[in-house]
Amino acid sequence: MAENNSIWEALGFRKASGVGEAGWGRTLVVAIVSLIYFLPVLFIIFTAFKPQDAALAVPPTLSPTSLFGLIPQQFVFTPTLENFGSVFMRSMTPGGAPEATGFDRYFFNSIVIASSSVLLALVIGTLAAFGFSRYPLKGNDTYLFIILTTRMLPAIVVIIPVILMFRVVGLSGSYTGIILLYTAFNLAFTIWMMKSFFDELSLDVEDAARIDGSSDIKVFFKIALPQVIAGLAATFVFGLILTWNEFLFALLLSGPDTRTVPVAMNQAVSSGGRGTDWTLLAAIETLFLIPVFLVTFFLQNHLLRGVTFGTVKR
Amino acid sequence: MRLSPDNWKLAILVGLVVSVLAAIALPPHVSFWIVGAMAALVAAAFVVNAYRRKYYGGLLVAPAIAVLFVMNIFPLLWSLGLSFFAYQSNQQSIRFIGLANYTKVLTNDIMAPANWGALVNTAMFVVLTVTAQMIVGFLLAMLFAKQFPLRKYLLILVLTPMMLSVVASGVFFSYYYDPTFGILSYVINAITGGQFILMDSKAGAVTGIVFADAWMWSPFVMLLVLAGLVSVPKYLYEAAAIDRVSKWRQFWTITFPYIRGLMMLALLFRTIEAFKLADLVILLTKGGNDTMTISYHLIRIANEQNKTSEGAAISYLMLFMVIVLTNLYLYIANRRSQGD
Amino acid sequence: MSTIEIRKVTKQFGAFTAVKDADLKVEAGEVVCLLGPSGCGKTTTLRMIAGLERATSGDVIIAGQRMNELPPQKRDIAMVFQFYALYPALTVGQNIAMPLHYEGLSKADQDARVSKVAKIMHLSEVLDRMPNQISEGEKQRLAVARAIVRDPNCFLFDEPLSRLDVELRHSMRGQIKEVLTGLSKATVIVTHDQLEALTMASRIAIMKDGVIEQVGTPHEVFAKPTNVFVASFIGTPQMNLVEADLRSFGDGKADVVLAGQPLNIAADPAVSRLKPSKVTVGIRPRAFTTVQDKAGDTIAAQAELIEPMGAETLIHARTASGGDIRVVVPRDKRVKVGEALHLRPDPRQTHFFGEDGRAVRA
Repeated sequence: MAENNSIWEALGFRKASGVGEAGWGRTLVVAIVSLIYFLPVLFIIFTAFKPQDAALAVPPTLSPTSLFGLIPQQFVFTPTLENFGSVFMRSMTPGGAPEATGFDRYFFNSIVIASSSVLLALVIGTLAAFGFSRYPLKGNDTYLFIILTTRMLPAIVVIIPVILMFRVVGLSGSYTGIILLYTAFNLAFTIWMMKSFFDELSLDVEDAARIDGSSDIKVFFKIALPQVIAGLAATFVFGLILTWNEFLFALLLSGPDTRTVPVAMNQAVSSGGRGTDWTLLAAIETLFLIPVFLVTFFLQNHLLRGVTFGTVKR
Repeated sequence: MRLSPDNWKLAILVGLVVSVLAAIALPPHVSFWIVGAMAALVAAAFVVNAYRRKYYGGLLVAPAIAVLFVMNIFPLLWSLGLSFFAYQSNQQSIRFIGLANYTKVLTNDIMAPANWGALVNTAMFVVLTVTAQMIVGFLLAMLFAKQFPLRKYLLILVLTPMMLSVVASGVFFSYYYDPTFGILSYVINAITGGQFILMDSKAGAVTGIVFADAWMWSPFVMLLVLAGLVSVPKYLYEAAAIDRVSKWRQFWTITFPYIRGLMMLALLFRTIEAFKLADLVILLTKGGNDTMTISYHLIRIANEQNKTSEGAAISYLMLFMVIVLTNLYLYIANRRSQGD
Repeated sequence: MSTIEIRKVTKQFGAFTAVKDADLKVEAGEVVCLLGPSGCGKTTTLRMIAGLERATSGDVIIAGQRMNELPPQKRDIAMVFQFYALYPALTVGQNIAMPLHYEGLSKADQDARVSKVAKIMHLSEVLDRMPNQISEGEKQRLAVARAIVRDPNCFLFDEPLSRLDVELRHSMRGQIKEVLTGLSKATVIVTHDQLEALTMASRIAIMKDGVIEQVGTPHEVFAKPTNVFVASFIGTPQMNLVEADLRSFGDGKADVVLAGQPLNIAADPAVSRLKPSKVTVGIRPRAFTTVQDKAGDTIAAQAELIEPMGAETLIHARTASGGDIRVVVPRDKRVKVGEALHLRPDPRQTHFFGEDGRAVRA
């Protein structure tokens, strides 16, 4: 525990055997469990590569390879990239010529709406969090609790008045409306989390900077902010996962031009009267999963911290 | 209370009173602008106050408060007002009817049974999904608690279900459950030889929904519990090893106190989320086989049947329940932490 | 029999060797301090004895039994951790009782043991409090109480006093020593504080870069350091270690050129074995007497900085060749800055170290 351990950790040496560490045996057990847990996702990803007929085969086809004969031939399908093409171009009527589906637009919408609302919430929320942390108002905790409460409200309670309000104000189906709504949706935990990060910083550095003549604005940007990069990352990834996949608000509030992928996905699979087009849906979802998966993977270490919403402090 | 342009407390008070009165007494398209003006007043008072006193706290917090007010607090007040009117979003007529909406959704021969049914179903889903998520999430977290090779890569596999769009997971679970093409039916057919349709009965449909929901959101509970588990200082386990404390006792005296708060938090978040359960039901059963939930019911009433003010009344009853639950939770959580 | 022995114990973390070929034997009733600077491997050595780390090679023998492969649970040891490792969710009393559950005592026996130990460690008043509600000194005593509530093979202390302030540290040193004396167990204490080691240990093992440099009684390591590192590490103010040219040796005296000045000084007969070569001469600051006139066995230097230390005065003096020499003189000896000093080292407290840094001693 003493000083020398941290040196080894800094050097990247793992402790060979110690309490709280496990070896490859644990890896094997967890790998089996994780793979089973991951199977439904894997099936979706595989379906994205299936030809239409393979998707509707009985028994269901399970694998693109027979794994050297390990898997019986009836469960094996021949992978194709066709479905990814038809996400963007396909015939809308039986036998019709392929036409653009507009999914490029929907992906664009999802990226614009999710990233801008999460970032906007991050900017506004970080400012507020710094305010709550460094310049406490009277009844600070009450405000913070009320803010947390807005996150606790079922979305459905808010949504009807918001629909009506957007109609009155003319924000229905606009980027502004849905981005603002998602911003509010993300604000509560952004504030809570960022506040806990700011609370943990040592004030000495900031005080020293003030004594050296830095303005409050400079203290925020040059001293405090660089120390909470990890917190910003965690907040970003968590907000992104929630906003990226948000369906109900998007379904009820987005217009034809601002439709996000989850809504379009819902329409694509249920339209045409030919029953659910599973391969198409799988291809859309696989493409849709990639950005958020990558972001989560690279910011994973911060996520553990983020998920507690900053409420746990010891 | 001093009357001055920077007295933001007075501004909030006036704003709230006027907003509530306007929301109750005036039709929505009028009251909207009144409440909006009140919000602007409060914001202005805040900014003037902050500016005069070089009060950066107020300035920093103001934008967040403004967004939350416009997008959360104001709509809530507005729909509170709406619940006292007879109003349908596809018609222009609007009429003050007091508490009639509330009595109607609670006691009306046609509406009430459906409402109560949906509420009972919701309660059932809350209990079942939250229990399943807590157990699965806890067990997964215990698996990942120790440091081992490849941990990072295996963890992301378990986290992926949470990243899926609910549309995709909903549709694919209906595919897995499909009597003709589904893998589940195929396996059971192969064993029993008979036709198997999971979603055919209420028990089956509920199981199907709970399974899918628990699969998607157990990783969330896992992350919370894991955050608690990794915050236990390693030296406590080392001390316990030296003190020859049994694994069982180690868990209850060392580990559990660190994750208790987080498990309560997970319970709270998941309970609130479970109350909102609608999308999976829409995708898997469309409310059939008596699986209608209150959230889905609300969407139907308010959005599809345009019974806006009845919907608002139900919203408020629901909000009331969530607040009661939350306070109950906070009361228990506080008593627990005082007991320490 | 309560003994600890490690034989040729080595610990590697990847390519990094934390402890190399450490040998140490601790008899029953003996208190051995592992002393060394940060990162020298002393804590790792302790953790290998405890079973919290596994030795890469070598033998860890506790109570006469080789225990390398056994986990801590099976070694029957008690340990006090640097940060105390108190169980935060349990009361003081429950903390003390934790090691007792293994023995399956009756509730009454358990309570009796706890209250007995609590009395010894002055914790009776706070048995029902939580660890975060007691003072730093009480936390420390609780950590010790939890260790001595059992009758283990041996005791291990990891920097037990590092978190206490100077006064508490002083009183706890005495208290721990008293408790340990009554128990007659083999005890290993890890510390970086030489005062702690000198006062509490029956023997001290000094470590540097994973190697045990010297093991000896507090008197031995102070009076007969085996090498330059031990010489410089033990004793405050630090021993003066001055580069010198050994010219010749005869008649029990060595002729050296030290700081540019010829010096004829009585030396250990073993020095005669050295050929004329570079040596390091070690002289403790308190081993000088200041004399009026230059002589064959004095070093000339000019007082440069004067630090009164209460009973004594520390003088930093500079030789003609620019070297710095620390001298401690009694308080009543008045020295002014700039004054020329003639320093006569006490030959019995003068150490010669060869080119390899090892002490040259018969």
